[in-house]
Amino acid sequence: MNDISPEVALHRISPELRPLLCSVVRNGRVGLDSTNCLRVTDLKTGCISLTPGPCCDRFKLHIPYAGETLKWDIIFNAQFPELPPDFIFGEDAEFLPEPSELPHLVQWDAGNPECLLQLVKELIQQYHHYQCQRLRESSRLLFEYDSLLEDPNYGRNMEIYAGRKNSWTGEFSARFLLKLPVDFSNIPVYLLKDTALDPGEDVALLSVSFEDAEATQVFPKLYLSPSIEHALGGSSALHIPAFPSGGCLIDYVPQVCQLLNNKVQYIIQGYHKRREYIAAFLSHFGMGVVEYDAVGFTKLTLLLMWKDFCFLVHVDLPLYFPRDQPTLTFQSVYHFTNSGQLYSQVQKSYPYSPRWDGNEMAKRAKAYFKSFIPQFQEGAFANGKL
Amino acid sequence: MAEPTVRVSGIVLSSLMFQHGNTDSDAEGLVLGESRVEEQITISDSQADRINIQEIYYVQKHIACNKLNHFYSGAGEVNSVAVQKLLADNKQDSVLGWYRQRRNSDQQLSFRERIVHQSLKASLRNPHLLFLLLTPHRASSAESTHRTEYCAYISRNSVFLSVPLLVNNLGLQEPQSYWKLPVGRPSERYSATIRRHSSSFFSSDGLLRDVNDVNAMNDSLQEELQAACREVEDSERQLETLQSEVSALRKRSRERRKKSEAAGRTGEEEEDQRRNLRLQEAVGALFKRSPLFLTQTLTLQGFPVPERTFSGEEEEEEEEEEAVCEEDEAECEEEEAEAVCEEETQENTHSRKRRREMAASSERKRRKSES
Repeated sequence: MNDISPEVALHRISPELRPLLCSVVRNGRVGLDSTNCLRVTDLKTGCISLTPGPCCDRFKLHIPYAGETLKWDIIFNAQFPELPPDFIFGEDAEFLPEPSELPHLVQWDAGNPECLLQLVKELIQQYHHYQCQRLRESSRLLFEYDSLLEDPNYGRNMEIYAGRKNSWTGEFSARFLLKLPVDFSNIPVYLLKDTALDPGEDVALLSVSFEDAEATQVFPKLYLSPSIEHALGGSSALHIPAFPSGGCLIDYVPQVCQLLNNKVQYIIQGYHKRREYIAAFLSHFGMGVVEYDAVGFTKLTLLLMWKDFCFLVHVDLPLYFPRDQPTLTFQSVYHFTNSGQLYSQVQKSYPYSPRWDGNEMAKRAKAYFKSFIPQFQEGAFANGKL
Repeated sequence: MAEPTVRVSGIVLSSLMFQHGNTDSDAEGLVLGESRVEEQITISDSQADRINIQEIYYVQKHIACNKLNHFYSGAGEVNSVAVQKLLADNKQDSVLGWYRQRRNSDQQLSFRERIVHQSLKASLRNPHLLFLLLTPHRASSAESTHRTEYCAYISRNSVFLSVPLLVNNLGLQEPQSYWKLPVGRPSERYSATIRRHSSSFFSSDGLLRDVNDVNAMNDSLQEELQAACREVEDSERQLETLQSEVSALRKRSRERRKKSEAAGRTGEEEEDQRRNLRLQEAVGALFKRSPLFLTQTLTLQGFPVPERTFSGEEEEEEEEEEAVCEEDEAECEEEEAEAVCEEETQENTHSRKRRREMAASSERKRRKSES
């Protein structure tokens, strides 16, 4: 199979069909997993070899669905570009959608560039119904599906792939892909924008694979969009619980959803808390503030003086503030270490409580500075050099 | 259940491929022909009577559409009017199915083809409608060689099954295909000519005349064979009887010979003895006087003993004397052996003693004989 970039595919396709293909490769995001566009491979022509190019009019379309990739052949005819396309559904030879359920096929408009993409979406919807029908081979899995379908939070955003029955072992497997109804809109923007990849839509997908029809081997996995994963602290920050033995999806999915929600709320609250903290320090230390992170509110630097002794205090607020205590770094403006750096001391243990509000934290920090500075000054004089 | 097979002549198939080869897009149309159901009875070692029903579709002609989607819509609904127009003068009953040629695609039914097929089945009211799918694609990168895969499909309970598509006179031919009636596209002139001359070849029951003659010849041959078999059987029986008689005779002669052999063995010995006496008489008659051929009895001094006629008693006495002489000789030999060990001076004495003793014994004999 040869991967073709969208530009190459558009270059080789017959000119009359180019607009249709353009909307598919540029804007073609279908299904729950819409992080990537639809892919096109195996561009071929139905014309004779003497026909001058570009004249490709048939190709394979790769569609992500329920953790699988469907490979459908789409067949046009370059000499008759006004005709609707034909489809070969790969390994799903038994899949036969009802034409009346495909309005964009019945009312095919070759002049509408979105027509092919819409038709593909309708076919995927029909494919979803087809896969749900195949779940009837297992009463256990059908129960899982029906119970999820009743819940509007999950029933409308679910993709199911019923695997082939293993003729050797008789085992029947299925995979459920659910879009979790978690609101990521309140996540601070600064947490989302620093990703190298095009974030696309922020989604959290839960994939649950049933390796057997009796649900004795169940493997869940959580997929997050790159920006969300970054905002939550990376792939290791969030661990979902294992699927309980004898459990069912209608209990497990809300549990995972709640866990993710809590995490997101914690991140959002942490942001607000940090902003409150910085605001309180600004209020208490006024002109002593050298600089602070005005976007993420993760850093603050103060220049203070005690008995003619000037020093800097760098405050670093962690991601899970206020649960995690901010780090204070005291730095002398006079003394250097042997390596040429300003003499500094890091303090992670000082009077602190996550239940204090920002104002209280600022007051307590101020008191701590007063108590710690004499000790720091002695250390600077003793260990540093001017 | 009937096993369907599709047969097409090389001419029809190649014309299909040729037409698509010159079309700058996919092609489709209808295929016409006739279908036949044949019953084949096979006899094997495991089963005496196995009936095999075959449904054979003979593709004889195709009608190509000028453009795609000619007789159906984008959703796959068949337009019956368009189909009838396409058929023109051809009868709807002769429609076997439809075909499609798709360049550079998989040999697999597409979504619309399945929809159209079901719709066409309903429109033509033909539940055994066929679908021929030809998928040519280039076989070499230089596009000098192209390969066309072809297959026929039939729909049974909404499931599409592939049906063998056999090309006449292509590949291994089973013998039955050579003596089936040829299925061509019969024209009226052809049919009329055949009818005019058929009476010369066919009898009233529709079989070739020669077939009856050959059958009659076969019957005669069978009769002759049976007669020959009977003769062979008779001769074999006679032979068996004769052989049994011969073996009985041989057995009797063996027994007789055994008996005669047992009785005749002693007669042979006497005969041998008689023969020896006769020989002796003959030799005696011829060489009676020749001292070379006469046996003589010599005395100890080496003088021959005069001849006498012997009676039985005299023979006994002679035998006794001979035995005594033998005993004396044995004693003398023993004494000689002793004498060899003694001194030579005594040899003569011993020898004289031996001679004296021997002379005494011979004297005794002589006296006995005189008495």
